[in-house]
Amino acid sequence: MKMNKLKESEIDLSVDIAGVKLANPLMTASGTCGYADEYADFVDLKTLGAFVTKSISVAPREGNEYPRIVETRAGMLNAIGLANVGLEVFLKEKVPQLESLGLPVFVNVAGTTTEDYLKVAEALEDVDIVKGCELNISCPNVKAGGIQFGVDPNAVENITAELRKVCRKNKLIVKLSPNVSDITATAAAAVNGGADALSLINTFTAMAIDIEKRAPILANATGGLSGPAIRPVAVYMVHRVYTQVARPNNIPIIGMGGIQYASDALEFLLAGATGLAIGTALFVNPQCIVEIRDDIADYLARHGHGSITEIIGTLKIG
Amino acid sequence: MCSENKMSGRGVYMATVVVNEKICDEHFLLRLYLAEFPSAAAGQFVQLQCRPPVAQAGAAEVARSEAGLPEFSSPELTDKESLLRRPLSLAGRRVSGDGVELEIIYRVVGTGTGWLAGTRAGQAVSVLGPLGNALPIIPDKPQVALVAGGVGIPPMIYMANALHNAGKSVTAFNGVRSKSLLPLSPGSEPISPEGLPRLCCSQFQSSDASAVVASDDGTVGYHGLVTEPFDAWLDGEAKAAAGLVVYSCGPEPMMRAVGEICIRRGIECYLSLERHMACGMGTCQSCIVKIRDDSPQGWSYKLCCTHGPAFDARDIIW
Repeated sequence: MKMNKLKESEIDLSVDIAGVKLANPLMTASGTCGYADEYADFVDLKTLGAFVTKSISVAPREGNEYPRIVETRAGMLNAIGLANVGLEVFLKEKVPQLESLGLPVFVNVAGTTTEDYLKVAEALEDVDIVKGCELNISCPNVKAGGIQFGVDPNAVENITAELRKVCRKNKLIVKLSPNVSDITATAAAAVNGGADALSLINTFTAMAIDIEKRAPILANATGGLSGPAIRPVAVYMVHRVYTQVARPNNIPIIGMGGIQYASDALEFLLAGATGLAIGTALFVNPQCIVEIRDDIADYLARHGHGSITEIIGTLKIG
Repeated sequence: MCSENKMSGRGVYMATVVVNEKICDEHFLLRLYLAEFPSAAAGQFVQLQCRPPVAQAGAAEVARSEAGLPEFSSPELTDKESLLRRPLSLAGRRVSGDGVELEIIYRVVGTGTGWLAGTRAGQAVSVLGPLGNALPIIPDKPQVALVAGGVGIPPMIYMANALHNAGKSVTAFNGVRSKSLLPLSPGSEPISPEGLPRLCCSQFQSSDASAVVASDDGTVGYHGLVTEPFDAWLDGEAKAAAGLVVYSCGPEPMMRAVGEICIRRGIECYLSLERHMACGMGTCQSCIVKIRDDSPQGWSYKLCCTHGPAFDARDIIW
């Protein structure tokens, strides 16, 4: 088929995540971009479609002991332990700087009890710039926190339903763990509980061992694996959740896991993701956001697509 | 690739290797030319991408083999293994022609620095920085001692230069495991085997600083730990303690000992710490240091990259 090559300026990169309009599908993966001010010198964050904050819990958290990261082949393990400034400081000090971005903001919400999640989500209803809560029920690095909600479909449905009641203005996004036997089960549970969107995947629980000391390298013993090493699994999980849960229910997916280049991002779009989150790659090259955006436009132009939405979920399986 | 209109100028810059030469076992001197780079000071560091900078290839049509299969040219298959950048302290910065030259002395410890050791003049290297804070120069302290170990010596060369320009009297104590690992070249006087300050290292002599060299195995200078001649020197300088400030960089046990000596003697002391870090920009939250404060628990985690890398020895909880 002959394609009519379009000019990049004619390409519409905008997407819609459950009613929130984004200029393009790119966003930050929670925990990899702080509260925006950290990266201000290194990249124009206005290039993003939306900003996703680091996890916010009711009380501030110091996080885990050192060492918190270790590099592995084509990836890294982290066990930060949801270190964050807490809800009060977030509202007072971080929200004003997020407002200056002029982007839709999704706040990643963490907690150890249902009440914790509800308290944060309730407070965010009064913040205009916040358009959604991303429910972190899949952090692998906090004991007795988050993850136990994320691996059991019943628990996922229950906590999503509870949050649904307090997220009135804000959209409710549920971030899924890959550390489950069937991610479509937890995805379906989140949708049954009332999720507006799904984001996947969080990191894989993993371990690296110091063979001389015969001890784990991370102080937390285990950490979450991210980076290009996990991308093929993430693409597969997005494909499965898209075909079996998201498409039938008309629920958008925010895809993430090892995206470094536009070619990676395009795999996620073709597999069914509407939004794209960049995480580990930002540590290496903060400007990759701009490069990925422009290269996606170039791909669309070369294939004669005027809008990015024309390629979402268009994977052909013979 | 250059950053755009940033207030501070911090950003991602493309550099060209001018010189990359072995100066002693395991240590290389890397001189990089950049068309532009912000002003930087002793104590600051950069994050080098230890693999060839790749052009973003997301838009390019995927090449096909004769059988019609995609030919994978993804960087994660073709690059050396290291994904994250490597934080390296600056040993010098100077204006060169229309641009800037950065000097870095690094020790080959793994995959990333191993790749760097193989770079040749003319090769491109991506530089992120400048990062961290300058070592504080204390106005009312005319006398300065630098205590460095191993690969902690290079940033002290830069510091000696800055202190000399500020009119300070500098004495540099340098510890190595063995003579073959000393990244310094001879000065006009011989190195004292008794650990007495001499104009014995050209890099410090150019800042009018006398130097002491100590080695663990006695193959050069004083036979023993660098903290021993440092402590002995302080005995002679004890009356001047109020006008003396100490900076230290090197292995953690050495810095800890230097800190304890200074605290005991009531001498102001700054330790430039090293931590594993992914980003260097304050987002990954991995390079934590436990610092005393007036919070209820008496401490909080500070980031080595954005709060440091140097901390007042009295504030560090080891």
